[in-house]
Amino acid sequence: MSDDADSEFAAAVARAGVTIPPERWVAMREAYVSMQTLLKVLDDPLAYEDEPASMPRFDLGVK
Amino acid sequence: MSAEPLPTLAEAGRKIAAGEVSPVELTEAALARAVALQPKLDAFIEITADRARAAAKRAEKEITGGRRRGPLHGIPYGLKDIYDAAGLRTTAHSRVLIENVATADAATTARLEEAGMILIGKLATHEFATGGPAWDLPFPPARNPWNTAHFTGGSSSGSGAAVAAGILGLAMGSDTGGSIRLPAAYCGTVGLKPTYGRVSRRGVVPLCYTLDTTGPLTWTVEDTALAMQVLAGHDPRDPGSADVPVPDYRAGLRDDVKGLRIGYCRDFNRDGEVNAEQSAALDQAAQLLAREGAEVTEVALPPNAQFQACARTISHSESFAIHADVLRTRPELYARVTRERLMLGGFLTAAQYVQAQRLRRILTRKVDALFETVDVLLTAVIPGAAPVLEETDDGPWRRQQPLASVFNVTGHPAMAQSCGFSATGLPLSAQFVGRHFDEATVLRVGYAYEQAAGWVNQRPALATL
Repeated sequence: MSDDADSEFAAAVARAGVTIPPERWVAMREAYVSMQTLLKVLDDPLAYEDEPASMPRFDLGVK
Repeated sequence: MSAEPLPTLAEAGRKIAAGEVSPVELTEAALARAVALQPKLDAFIEITADRARAAAKRAEKEITGGRRRGPLHGIPYGLKDIYDAAGLRTTAHSRVLIENVATADAATTARLEEAGMILIGKLATHEFATGGPAWDLPFPPARNPWNTAHFTGGSSSGSGAAVAAGILGLAMGSDTGGSIRLPAAYCGTVGLKPTYGRVSRRGVVPLCYTLDTTGPLTWTVEDTALAMQVLAGHDPRDPGSADVPVPDYRAGLRDDVKGLRIGYCRDFNRDGEVNAEQSAALDQAAQLLAREGAEVTEVALPPNAQFQACARTISHSESFAIHADVLRTRPELYARVTRERLMLGGFLTAAQYVQAQRLRRILTRKVDALFETVDVLLTAVIPGAAPVLEETDDGPWRRQQPLASVFNVTGHPAMAQSCGFSATGLPLSAQFVGRHFDEATVLRVGYAYEQAAGWVNQRPALATL
């Protein structure tokens, strides 16, 4: 892992306000990298009209 | 302990109506079985024997007095220990809530009690319906009745174990990323994740507000229909609840599948890393449904990675928001696996959460489009049979992407049920998925498949001890 990635993870931990014991640091950093790799798909551009589905209302229009 | 598993809900209802068995006898049988199998399965966190016996006597008095409330009156059930039942602890299998006593019933508990059902106990779960099997908690993880060395699936682990072992005809579960369907799949039961908003979540410990659903695990599809008849309906005190009419779930249950269009998501098996024997079992399920008269065609879902990015971002973000305070101030209260998986949500950004919610709407639209040409989708819910419990992934990042969470993202109703067995004798599972609020068609297809395939007649050897 690069120093940049390690710094990024340290910053994320600090921002979250949680404490990771030294013996779990590497495992958590690897988990963070795996998560960010999966989430790259979220960087794909979306159209302005693609609004969030924050609170689904699948019942709209059913009645 | 009785040599036989408890009868199904439908069978028990028929026997009670005919006077062949009483609620007290059924309750005593369930309690005896629960106690006898607890050392092997650890399915229960608490067995509520006194409460159950008192409720059974009341039910018996009502029924013999000619006041039978309905087909579930006098029949035992269990609650995953994230559901409130007034006067009982709701621990979520966690030290964090070890002293938490519910002051009111969850909306679903209230509906089951009103139907006259008898609560036998609170069931094991993965801590806060997330994490995984863990040994550094106040209660041990549940074990799979087909082979107690194996994982039940989760997070509704005790629910899957108790139904598969024939202790209960109905156990409630919750499903944020597969937590009803995964234990149903690994334990060989039926497990229905209803449409988001179909069944109230009020009084159930939340994990992720916009993905959480509540629903039943049963042994048969008919029993799931019976349970849904009681559970489904609008709850104005649940912000996610939908005000959509509830149909008669048993009305069309026995209709055959002739003319129904089933979209088999065969490509999804590869995308989801489904193994060869699970893929073959799904192929055979599709072929059987075609022989029964369904029009089976292959359809393609969007890439699994898109669903997983959505599900994980949303679930981790919302669950971190719920647990942030305790994670920061008393992290030692959680099991390590729970703590680490919950913490991941703190490393996400607001922009990622919003993008995931935007992608979620796009994916939902794409799956809705499939339902313009088919009535039900058939997919995998698990990549293969249950792993050995001690070898279950306990890292902070799940190596395998859960296939079930696809339909938490889109909100569609999805039901897992047995579709055969692995070479090692463990259940394999199919998943039927329907249009929003069309649980009835999912049940119809599931019932037709269940009757034609016959897997429902095989129970774990443990259940017939």
